[in-house]
Amino acid sequence: MRPVVVAGVGMIPFERRDEDSLMDMLATAGLNAMDDAGLGDRPIDSVYVGNMASGLFNHQVSVASALVDRLSLLPAAADRVENGPASGGSAIKNGFLAVASGFNDVVLVVGGEKMREVIGPKATDIVACMTHPQAEYIYGVTLPAMAGMFARLYMEKYGVTREHLSMVAIKNQTNGLLNPYAHIQMKITMEGILSHPQSHINSPVVADPIHLYDCCPVSDGAAAVLLTTEEIANKLKKPLVTIDGIGQATDTHTLQERSDPTDLKAVTLASEQAFKMAGIKPKDIDVAELHDAFTILEIAESEHAGFFPKGEGAKALERGETQIGGKLPINPSGGLKARGHPVGATGVAQVVELVWQLRGEAGERQVKGAANGFSLNFGGFGNNVLAFVLRRKS
Amino acid sequence: MKTITAYKCNKCGLVMYPYHDRCLNCKGRDFKEIAPTSKGKLLTYTVIEQLPWGMDERGRVLGVVEFDNGVKALGLIKDDAPRIGMKLKVNWEPVREMGGEEIFGLTFVKTK
Ligand SMILES: [Zn+2]
Repeated sequence: MRPVVVAGVGMIPFERRDEDSLMDMLATAGLNAMDDAGLGDRPIDSVYVGNMASGLFNHQVSVASALVDRLSLLPAAADRVENGPASGGSAIKNGFLAVASGFNDVVLVVGGEKMREVIGPKATDIVACMTHPQAEYIYGVTLPAMAGMFARLYMEKYGVTREHLSMVAIKNQTNGLLNPYAHIQMKITMEGILSHPQSHINSPVVADPIHLYDCCPVSDGAAAVLLTTEEIANKLKKPLVTIDGIGQATDTHTLQERSDPTDLKAVTLASEQAFKMAGIKPKDIDVAELHDAFTILEIAESEHAGFFPKGEGAKALERGETQIGGKLPINPSGGLKARGHPVGATGVAQVVELVWQLRGEAGERQVKGAANGFSLNFGGFGNNVLAFVLRRKS
Repeated sequence: MKTITAYKCNKCGLVMYPYHDRCLNCKGRDFKEIAPTSKGKLLTYTVIEQLPWGMDERGRVLGVVEFDNGVKALGLIKDDAPRIGMKLKVNWEPVREMGGEEIFGLTFVKTK
């Protein structure tokens, strides 16, 4: 396989975007990545679109074909990649393979979702469609409910408290204030979301023990990366950031069939693969973007990915090690918690943030001197997980 | 009583629910259909305050139950004070209405 460079990145701010269609968002993010790379009018061989549910949210399918038409990239190959909340990560993996294998030289990967076209409970239902139709869905299970059942066990086993969960929310929303692309731009305090007698009004129960401020918002948004070879990237204008490692692993569809439901095996395996391929270790990582769709997941993933031993993630958080300026800043972008989680966009947005960080272009939230980055895109409830290691080329 | 169908691998004995075409342990393809026993214990649960579209209620308790014969399944817990490890007795009742039709599933109440 030949090295693959992320030569261009682009996003649009994640928020509620009533004025934009899904295609408007995908097209703008795609153009931003092309322009960031300085691609000009050079041709693109192939386009991958990460999107979970445009048919259900927006009554439109075949969105990759529609996107190449909008961007005048005809006759480029075009595929939509659907892998639940890991659709963006899967789209990047496909783009990577196309370039690494020599099949394509220039590939555009765009992830996007327009979720706010439907009302909140309808979005909850659409997202719940990834659960098992007979064994889970019919009972009214939601993704926050899966997180609730997981969190109850994880908290008991490892001594994680609601205070720890709130620390994740506070850290990520603080980081989000430094990210102009983040959906949630609001400072929160421990008193406001947890310790004050009235805090349950601000942060009501969604699926006990998961409260409102433990959940990512429902967002519209898109993000894009332009992947190419070192040879072509050297002719473009940006410092080289390469995808050095990718891992992917799956686990049982339902939580109850895992011998230990607190063990996120797919996270461990995907991360190990990505580190092995990159030839570096978790301790070499300078900045990580984890899939904190629920606060408990940032803690659990930070352990399963190999950054901390099991049970130590919450302690590292407590010590401030995962803040910007700490030993391993996690989610300097604000994560899903603050940046938002337009499902198909997330895996791509994580890689966009890493590229900004590794180039030194992350502005106020820059992790100083970051050279090695890691991202984790968590699909289903941990039944399909992708991990990425990105490095700045010196 | 109607209930779910679980599967026991004829080769290695692993009990599975829901259905897989090959055993999650040994890849075997022959299974014996088994029904869960009448009682089990609660492994984990949540209380859902924000339900999906079409379900107009609050405080719905869902949990994972391990039956006495090893079958594990998610179901509706009809108890206001659930706790991990509590003994439950199973029923087969409507759990949701979809498209004007009542969908049946596993429900549980406290037992000794
Ligand atoms: Zn078997």
